[in-house]
Amino acid sequence: MRAFDYAAAATVDDALKLARPGSAFLAGGTTLVDLMKLDVLTPDRVIDVNSLPLKGIRLHAGALRIGALERMSDVAAHPVVTAVHPMISRALLLSASWQLRNMASIGGNLLQRTRCDYFRDVTSACNKRRPGSGCPALTGVNRGHAILGTSDSCVATHASDVAVAFVALEAQVVVRGKDGDRTIPLDDFYRLPGSTPERENALAPGELVAEVVVPTLPWARHSTYLKIRDRQSYEFALTSVAAAVDLKRGVVQDVRLAAGGVGTKPWRLRAVEEALKGGVAMERTFADAAESAVDGARPLAHNAFKTSLLKRSIVRALLDAAGVR
Amino acid sequence: MIGQPVDRVDGRIKVTGAAPYAADTKVPGVAYGYLVTSTIGKGSVTAMDTAAALASPGVLAVYTPFNPLKLFAYVQEQNDERFPPLQDNEVRFFGQAIGFVVAETWEQARDAAGLVTATYQQQPPATEFPGRTARRFDEVEEVVGTQALGDITFTATYTTPFQHHCAMEPHATVATWNGDHLTVYTVSQGALLVQRRLSETLGIDAAKIHVLSPHVGGGFGGKWGNWAQVPLACAASKALGRPIKAVLTREQVFAMAGHRPTTEQTLTMTCTADGKLTSIVNDGVTSRGLGGNWSESVANWTLTTYASPNIRVTKKIVPLNLGAATVMRAPGEANGSFALESAMDELAEQLGVDPVELRLRNYATLVPNTGKPWSSKHLDECYRIGAEEFGWAERPKGVRATVDGDWLVGTGMATATYGAGRGQASVKVRLHPDGTASVSGTAADLGTGQYTVFAILVADELGIPVSSVRPELGDSTSPAAANAGGSTSTGTNGPAVQVAAKAVQTELITLAVSNPRSPFHGKDPATVVDRDGSISSGGVTMSFGTLLTTCDVGGVEAVGTSPRLVDPEHGYRSFGAHFCEVRVHRLTGEPRVTRWRSVCDAGTIVNAKAARSQIQGAVVMGIGQTLLEATEVDHATGRFANANLASYLVPVHSDIPKIDVRFLNHPDPLVSGLGAKGIGELGIVGVAGAIANAVHHATGVRVRDLPITLDKLL
Ligand SMILES: Cc1cc2nc3c(=O)[nH]c(=O)nc-3n(C[C@H](O)[C@H](O)[C@H](O)COP(=O)(O)OP(=O)(O)OC[C@H]3O[C@@H](n4cnc5c(N)ncnc54)[C@H](O)[C@@H]3O)c2cc1C
Ligand code: SF4
Repeated sequence: MRAFDYAAAATVDDALKLARPGSAFLAGGTTLVDLMKLDVLTPDRVIDVNSLPLKGIRLHAGALRIGALERMSDVAAHPVVTAVHPMISRALLLSASWQLRNMASIGGNLLQRTRCDYFRDVTSACNKRRPGSGCPALTGVNRGHAILGTSDSCVATHASDVAVAFVALEAQVVVRGKDGDRTIPLDDFYRLPGSTPERENALAPGELVAEVVVPTLPWARHSTYLKIRDRQSYEFALTSVAAAVDLKRGVVQDVRLAAGGVGTKPWRLRAVEEALKGGVAMERTFADAAESAVDGARPLAHNAFKTSLLKRSIVRALLDAAGVR
Repeated sequence: MIGQPVDRVDGRIKVTGAAPYAADTKVPGVAYGYLVTSTIGKGSVTAMDTAAALASPGVLAVYTPFNPLKLFAYVQEQNDERFPPLQDNEVRFFGQAIGFVVAETWEQARDAAGLVTATYQQQPPATEFPGRTARRFDEVEEVVGTQALGDITFTATYTTPFQHHCAMEPHATVATWNGDHLTVYTVSQGALLVQRRLSETLGIDAAKIHVLSPHVGGGFGGKWGNWAQVPLACAASKALGRPIKAVLTREQVFAMAGHRPTTEQTLTMTCTADGKLTSIVNDGVTSRGLGGNWSESVANWTLTTYASPNIRVTKKIVPLNLGAATVMRAPGEANGSFALESAMDELAEQLGVDPVELRLRNYATLVPNTGKPWSSKHLDECYRIGAEEFGWAERPKGVRATVDGDWLVGTGMATATYGAGRGQASVKVRLHPDGTASVSGTAADLGTGQYTVFAILVADELGIPVSSVRPELGDSTSPAAANAGGSTSTGTNGPAVQVAAKAVQTELITLAVSNPRSPFHGKDPATVVDRDGSISSGGVTMSFGTLLTTCDVGGVEAVGTSPRLVDPEHGYRSFGAHFCEVRVHRLTGEPRVTRWRSVCDAGTIVNAKAARSQIQGAVVMGIGQTLLEATEVDHATGRFANANLASYLVPVHSDIPKIDVRFLNHPDPLVSGLGAKGIGELGIVGVAGAIANAVHHATGVRVRDLPITLDKLL
């Protein structure tokens, strides 16, 4: 860790004014401080945003609105969330640990950094951390890495669980800067690595994430968030699937699907959704539809199993969400 | 009292944070040392720039191979580093200590360490271990014509990855000098191991080195050796005239403080049609880290487990540019048993014989490789009771036979055995006027329960409550007791505690009859009895505390020594059997252990509660060994790529089912009067085999490469 200035912002305007190149906002600190200890992030100014009024969980104009500074544990337990979008609650409860969820904010969660071990070790090359230095994961240890949305520059997954649920539910983020607010679909907010893996999202330097807006979707109560990992708890996903299914007389009317642990960003599975619509909700249908999930997948030496695991996870999640056997 | 479930005597200070661990040691005027480590896997350091670090705030000194602290060569093999740090500029592995920065605060030392730059002459590190890949193996079945008709051959290769001890407490050392006397507070599995090492490398008389290691936050073998921070803290403290504290970071622990080597075993067994083994050959290969000398005799477990007229084991060593490989809970046996116990299950299936039955048909009533009788062996009883209590009889014969919802359910079993014996140990017991007793020896308690064993045995011998006994361990000035390694602590130290407690009673009686103030003065010692903490004779009874007070004596003490057991006539081992149930999801393949029963024949059990915890802990570690743990090397750099506790997965609570443990508690008549053999390592032996066998029973897939992760089961 390097020495840094600390400033606590009392208002959003303060926070925006305090921001400058090389500064970082501090919410729960579970990503920021962790990476500062490893010298991966070396901000010279840390701006504490925890007293900003970016809080509240409410239903408004057909949408669930969650303030960026709400803690993961509070969001997971909130009655409106569990009633309207249980998938969000489930994705949060399968994330990290109680202690971390009590500290970590929703805004910070969406901006958390990849768990690629090369990114987290400053002695290693890494295009995301040090642009142009190379990507050792391409030929090194890559069991946990992405198979979708990768480039020759970077194959790191986006590690957030709840972002997968948000993408399935077509959530938007409200971004606040000196020039006012912008509302961006979360799916567009995240960028593919391409040749600039250091740029992960649409946030401009010094901008704040203010709020997450999730449209209500009555049938999304029939949903699940499935997370597959080696260890039963306290681990990031090898694969995860957020699934919601609208069934009528056993036929899929509508469906939402997104996957985690496999993509360089939370991965919406639109082709699978299309293939499912109109199908009879049964394992065979799900398995056939899941095939297209891995179109364009680029497996690496140690993560080829993820193509098979992703398809199987989709089937399992759909069986759960649809309540069929 | 022996064999009752007794709460740990050090439990309260541990859960309240009062127990002083090495890094908690507060010494006035302490400065902090931080290691600089190599960022290449092989080559040499040609230059180092320390100017920026030296100019950085609070920095007192920067030591490097170009400006070293003098350390003499290591002599004794301690399963740790071959060479003392900073004495040469060769880089043998990634993360090797190449510098030591000392500053006023830990943060200053760390920040300055980040400013030290090294120039290297770099060579490609050798880190590939031939043979270990994550492939799934095909069953091999072969009938060899040259053998007697009906003979059956089975052969297969089993592989295991690098693993790390991951004790919660990182390696810490605090050194302080008073003239030419050194006091060291450090993590260690034996204070004398530190004293001996420091005496060698600092070139000073061992009598001038006082080592204190009263509490150790887990060792598992990783604290048997002394790693770079130990000699550096001591030598720098001398050079600077300041106490110095040095603590390794978690990544440094991974890189330089030892690991379980990667191994391969090719087992070939022949047997008669009714399953009697006619030969067993195990060709073992082990890695050795070039930072050290040690490697694992992975095939040797095969020598003593099953009866067979022909047994051959071999060992090949693959040296790699990694830190020292070292002992890790059941070194050799944990990996060795994975292969043989899997192979026995495979052979049982091939023959259509129940796996327990096959083991009984090949039961070794004599030590297989020497033909000597055992000191005691009740493994058949372990099988029988384990099978009964587990419900083994209801096990379906075929694989993939039980499905519960979306989960494939299977069961498996395996044998556990681990060497036993008794070394020499000396222990001191002292009786105090306040009615308490203290007992001391250089032994270590790594969380194993050794403190409580000492207290129980003294209490039992003197007839006083456990709470009246104060055990004092981990101090090099105490009598020389056994270090904590090889599951020998209780088997070796226990008898010495008993001898010392008996001896102190003799001392007490001598005092009683000879001290003029004693009510027993002048009595014939033969008429004086010492029972329940009191002396009595001729109708007079007095507690030892009152007697000491009455005589105005500050205490009586005695050192007892129990000699090393030398018995060339018998084989000594602890035995056990594991039975488990595993569930594997039919779609996503994750294996989860859902039921566990272990039955152990480890001689006399001194503390039923802590002993059960030892076996449970070993099974937990075995579940990690089998399903989760693997340290992966980045071959381009030679760095352990997942050298942190987020990426190196150890089990969490939800991975662990209820673990039922039963001890047969048959005293071993030959090992000692106490009859206790070892339990610390026994519990992990066989765990991997039992789980692998259950996974096969559940799914029909045989995984011969640890860890058994879901990708191998899809
Ligand atoms: C051991 C461990 C296990 C974990 N396991 C999981 C898991 O299983 N699943 C999962 O999803 N996550 C997991 N996490 C990640 C965790 O959820 C995130 O670290 C956490 O959500 C980040 O939130 P925070 O408030 O602590 O963010 P901070 O650490 O405070 O901030 C993170 C980043 O976002 C920026 N930032 C924060 N708030 C704002 C804002 N409002 N506007 C603009 N920028 C902002 C910061 O500058 C920083 O760059 C784990 C973390 C750890 C340490
Ligand atoms: S995968 Fe991305 S984050 Fe990981 S090393 Fe490569 S560039 Fe860096």
